[in-house]
Amino acid sequence: MSQPDLNRIIARVEDLPTLPRTVLRITELVNDPKSSARDLARVITDDQVLAARLLKLVNSSFYGFPQRISTITGAIVLLGFDAIRNLLLTTSVFDLFANRKRISEFSQEQFWDHSLGCAVGAKILGNHLRYDKVEELFVSGLLHDIGKIVEMIFMPEQFSKITRLVQKENILMFSAEEQILGYTHADVGRLLAEKWNLPPKLISVILHHHRPSTAGRFAQEAAIIHLADIFCRALNIGSGGDNKIPQLDKIAWESLKIKTEALEPLIAKTKSGFDDISLFITYTP
Amino acid sequence: MILLKIDQLKPGMILAESVYNQQELLLFEKGASLTKKRIWTLKTWGINHVRIKGERKGNHLTTIEPEGKNKQTIENELQEKFADALDDPVMAAIMKAASRQLQENSNDPENGNEPT
Repeated sequence: MSQPDLNRIIARVEDLPTLPRTVLRITELVNDPKSSARDLARVITDDQVLAARLLKLVNSSFYGFPQRISTITGAIVLLGFDAIRNLLLTTSVFDLFANRKRISEFSQEQFWDHSLGCAVGAKILGNHLRYDKVEELFVSGLLHDIGKIVEMIFMPEQFSKITRLVQKENILMFSAEEQILGYTHADVGRLLAEKWNLPPKLISVILHHHRPSTAGRFAQEAAIIHLADIFCRALNIGSGGDNKIPQLDKIAWESLKIKTEALEPLIAKTKSGFDDISLFITYTP
Repeated sequence: MILLKIDQLKPGMILAESVYNQQELLLFEKGASLTKKRIWTLKTWGINHVRIKGERKGNHLTTIEPEGKNKQTIENELQEKFADALDDPVMAAIMKAASRQLQENSNDPENGNEPT
């Protein structure tokens, strides 16, 4: 990436949105083995919007609990800490960028569908590979392209040049960014992730999702997101702003040790999983 | 808006009102598009009738359903998307699997447009 340009973004990093304090606090509590469901419930109930949303979600058919869940503690016990954090982080990140100025060529709704689809696909791949922290994969899928949103909001002129070039030449966003900016949404996403103090694993996945075999100790996680991204593009789940399929990183694919025969059921599950969840986690324009 | 019995529902129809079960849990929100699985979910919750977007003229029902793409269109779109990646057998397998999923969606016999 060209250093002067990157410096320009770093200079503006202070303007980047911050995660709601409640979500940061919840992340801390979830990571603390000593915290109880009651501690977590106390933080969530402080934020009425989050509390209402959580109850709406746990009472939705996506979770299919036969009885009405009316307390936050009940919801936490049923869903587990990780799933709660995941739900709240998801909806908070969506909110953060909703109602921003629109760029006509780029549909934010399609973008969030793409992100949510990758989150679902990553979790399904994680389950298949018996990865022990599938909720982290879900969040990684959700945030892998967050740099595109930062570009849209903070560099609207260049961003619109990028989307025009993508359409004109039918190329990947990634390639258009390299031509116009000299760096990509992966680099920009990393800056935001660092500002949000997200875990190193997540930062690495965001930075390396197009070249997962370069992600060092987090190569497996990056490879999962890379593959989930390809699934979603193939299945027309939302759109990341372009209409091409990136080339498969062969080293990453081989390291995952997924059999080719397993692809079909994994792709089918990604599609049905996305259809189910997208009803309840929706982008509100 | 038309009121339909559960066994008249078809994938692709759009809910005109949110659907709740007897315990007032939200099952599906207004505007949701029905799929085989969602219709099955409604059945398992004992829902008998739902309101669907569309209109009734005599015995003919016009409901709003997504346009099904034919096999050839799906194949062509995928070929174009995958154009730079198909020399890889894994990518070819992914494209094949995606193609089947997309066709299942649009060629589903229960997804036809025949009047009820």
